[in-house]
Amino acid sequence: MKIRATIALVFLAAAAPAQDRYATIAQATNARMVKVFGSGGFRGVVAYGTGIVVSPDGYVLTAAGSLLDTPELRVHLPDGRRCSAKLVVIEPALDAALIKVEMVEDLPFFDVAAAAARPLALPGTWILGFTNCFEIATRDEAMSVQRGVIQAYTRLPLQRGIFEAPYTGEVYVLDAVTNNPGAAGGALVSRSGTLLGLIGKELRNAAADTWVNYAVPVQARIEVRDGEAKRIVSLAEFVSLGMRGQYKPTAKPEKSAGDGGYHGIVLVPNVVERTPPYVEETVPGSPAAAAGLRPDDLIVYVDGEPVISVAAFRAIMSRTHAGQVIKLEVRRGDRLEPVELKLGERKPQK
Amino acid sequence: MRYALILAGLVAGAAPPDIVREAEARRIAVVGKIRPAVVAVFANGGQGGGSGVLIDPAGFALTNFHVVQGVGPTMKCGLADGVLYDAVLVGLDRVGDVALIKLLPKEKDKPFPFVPMGDSDKVQAGDWSIAMGNPFLVATDFTPTVTFGMVSGVHRYQYPAGTLLEYTDCIQIDTSINPGNSGGPLFNDAGELIGINGRGSFEKRGRVNSGVGYAISINQIKNFLGHLYAGIDTDHATLGATVKTTESEDDPTPKILVQAMIEDCDAFRRGLNPDDELVEFAGRPVTSVNQYKNVLGIYPKGWRLPLTYRRDNVKKEILVRLEGLLPKEEAQPKERGPRPERGPRPEPEKRSAEAMKLFKAKTGYANYHFNEQARDTLLTKARSHGDFTGMTGEWVIEGELERKGQKQPIKITIAERPDAENKTTKTVISADLAGVIFAMEPLKAAADPRELRDPPGSGGLLMALYHWHRLQTQAAKGFEGEFTHGGTEPYYPTEGKPGRPALRRIDAGVLRTEHAAVKGKWYYAADGRLLGGEVSQARGEDPCEISFGSLKETGGRKLPHRIDIQFGDQHYGTLLIRTYQLPKS
Repeated sequence: MKIRATIALVFLAAAAPAQDRYATIAQATNARMVKVFGSGGFRGVVAYGTGIVVSPDGYVLTAAGSLLDTPELRVHLPDGRRCSAKLVVIEPALDAALIKVEMVEDLPFFDVAAAAARPLALPGTWILGFTNCFEIATRDEAMSVQRGVIQAYTRLPLQRGIFEAPYTGEVYVLDAVTNNPGAAGGALVSRSGTLLGLIGKELRNAAADTWVNYAVPVQARIEVRDGEAKRIVSLAEFVSLGMRGQYKPTAKPEKSAGDGGYHGIVLVPNVVERTPPYVEETVPGSPAAAAGLRPDDLIVYVDGEPVISVAAFRAIMSRTHAGQVIKLEVRRGDRLEPVELKLGERKPQK
Repeated sequence: MRYALILAGLVAGAAPPDIVREAEARRIAVVGKIRPAVVAVFANGGQGGGSGVLIDPAGFALTNFHVVQGVGPTMKCGLADGVLYDAVLVGLDRVGDVALIKLLPKEKDKPFPFVPMGDSDKVQAGDWSIAMGNPFLVATDFTPTVTFGMVSGVHRYQYPAGTLLEYTDCIQIDTSINPGNSGGPLFNDAGELIGINGRGSFEKRGRVNSGVGYAISINQIKNFLGHLYAGIDTDHATLGATVKTTESEDDPTPKILVQAMIEDCDAFRRGLNPDDELVEFAGRPVTSVNQYKNVLGIYPKGWRLPLTYRRDNVKKEILVRLEGLLPKEEAQPKERGPRPERGPRPEPEKRSAEAMKLFKAKTGYANYHFNEQARDTLLTKARSHGDFTGMTGEWVIEGELERKGQKQPIKITIAERPDAENKTTKTVISADLAGVIFAMEPLKAAADPRELRDPPGSGGLLMALYHWHRLQTQAAKGFEGEFTHGGTEPYYPTEGKPGRPALRRIDAGVLRTEHAAVKGKWYYAADGRLLGGEVSQARGEDPCEISFGSLKETGGRKLPHRIDIQFGDQHYGTLLIRTYQLPKS
């Protein structure tokens, strides 16, 4: 009987999450976040971002990006102070950066090491996102808070070349529209305010013209190629070594040649917005000629992905590389023909 | 035993616990209660539309200005009961993107369902919110769509598009709002109206919900509601000053300083100067430029609000009259010869004749019909405290003037005497102040402007009393220039209530008058009692303010036996009145 009474009380206590509860968590989270202002403000690149404070003396974890390419980096603290900040180190593989706010002490902060030691959040977990999206807040104004659910813990299908994101590890995919301009580097927290991850950049699916909202988990740990060798990098290590000035970032991955592998297909002139990708001719001796592509073939699929236009075909081909084998399906007459191409080295343009 | 109990606890955890069910039931009950008051707004002919919400049983509903913009004076409104009602435009706030409309009941005086207004200053980021409306105009049977989400931020500032549609002090939500939700209500989880949904941050994702929507706070709308009910095309305010943020290397905490000022604005006359630090405005601390704009943006023009500034480490509080924001209406272009004949413009659909009966066009008003209604209601209430109609004989007021610590006997006469020479009425207001006679003829051509402001230092006490006399005895007939309802404004009576303005504030109904190019403003308490008034003789000049106290009944009419006189920053003095003689003409 006594035990029953205890259980009833536990349930009552759980029944108390008054309206105020999330307001309190919002205030507590906001107190550990900064608004970052740097370079940008042109060609759709915004000059503002979000960061989370990771030490009392002003280390801030944020997203890597052109925002930080300035000696004039500034942050606004939650109490309205405007302070200078310096870039400490960037880890391109994590798409993360550590900056240091100058002349501050005793700031409330997130303990990244402790958060990273916790288990990953499961899909279905209820979350809150805190960002300075759209530069709504300046000075002492609070971050925007949004609520949602983790839909999946998965790798984004970056290898398809549809999404452009430097971070290749697993992410939390969110059902809330958190990844707006300026939101990268924001905090993803649980409903009790525990740090779960760092909100990612705006990410558009070029094929479907849809946007995905994701966060990099605070436990992020991925294997990356560092020059010739392979190496494990983690967000927690990045923060802890970075704050001691001991973190060595991985070499920036070599940009795969922008033009992709050589195929030798000459398409019809791209005259309208969605010119169908008809083959005009093939260059003699090219992979296309070797594979037997013919004029008037209509390219319908590349590696199983539908291709609707000349532009779409070029976009996909730009992400290929020499030596890669691609499988096309072309419409020839009223039949679909499979064609396999081994891409060659692109010759230097004359 | 213990094992069984723990198991029972686990089972209870797997099924939705009672608190979840209770929360769900509560939410359903709240939605059920508020949905009858949600309005689907359509232009006549069905071209476009938005949402709205009923706020009183007479059928008054709030929506966005941008929903009724270009729609004309009447529109159609559907309620969740599936019935389409005729509606008429009542009041407009173009800068704040708010419109008040009135639905016409199908049966005379049948009350409409409506929702209570909440206190949006109590809303916090992290609170739940419920939006209702007609996104994408999906509902052809007018049943509102419900979306549920979180308050993402409060006291947000969103820049205007030009001068209009400035969202100040607004509520940011992740609750999904889309085109068609415009003008619809935002509720807290108790079903109280906390805002009117109006816009979102959209960039590259097209005009659909991007997780960032904004609602105009209901507390801002409450400030304008008196104006809106009075059919006014309202204007927002400017202080007449621009501000900047500064901080020094050793103190990164920002200070908000006055950058530049217009020199004929009230704030300047009250002593505010460039480089003064703004500390508090209308009771709120000013910590950023956005917050300054937020405070300024929630008040109508003409309101007087307290402002605290710091200069040389000394704080000072002043009461500032806010100037108008929108440029003055352009003068009508002159006719340039006859215009070619044009046929009548085709109406897209015939407007409801019944709704058009409630519409009257006039410059400066969204619907002058409602101004007349509000004005007449105000005057009827005022007359319950004393009807002075027809008492146009020579008024004699006797008592003492207390000024600078001294009391002197005073006798004031207000007379409209026939002038033998011109055979017209000659109006003379005179004061005998301990043997010194001041006399003023307000209607004399080329009058000495100093005489019109007698006694010296009062800013025009005689003129103010003359206008008060006309207001009481002649009402509309006494004011050929203007005689309109001016909405609601805060009033700060002086009698027996010294101290900070915020503690003295009374929200008053305003009557605006103009006679012989002299403008007056008269403030009435909710019960119709005349609290005071002010009379201004020129733009950019301080008015003479008279504040009525010690109301005593004299012959069935309440009359003030104490009148405090204020001119600019100076308290001129106090009239302590012993007797009134108010004969009929």
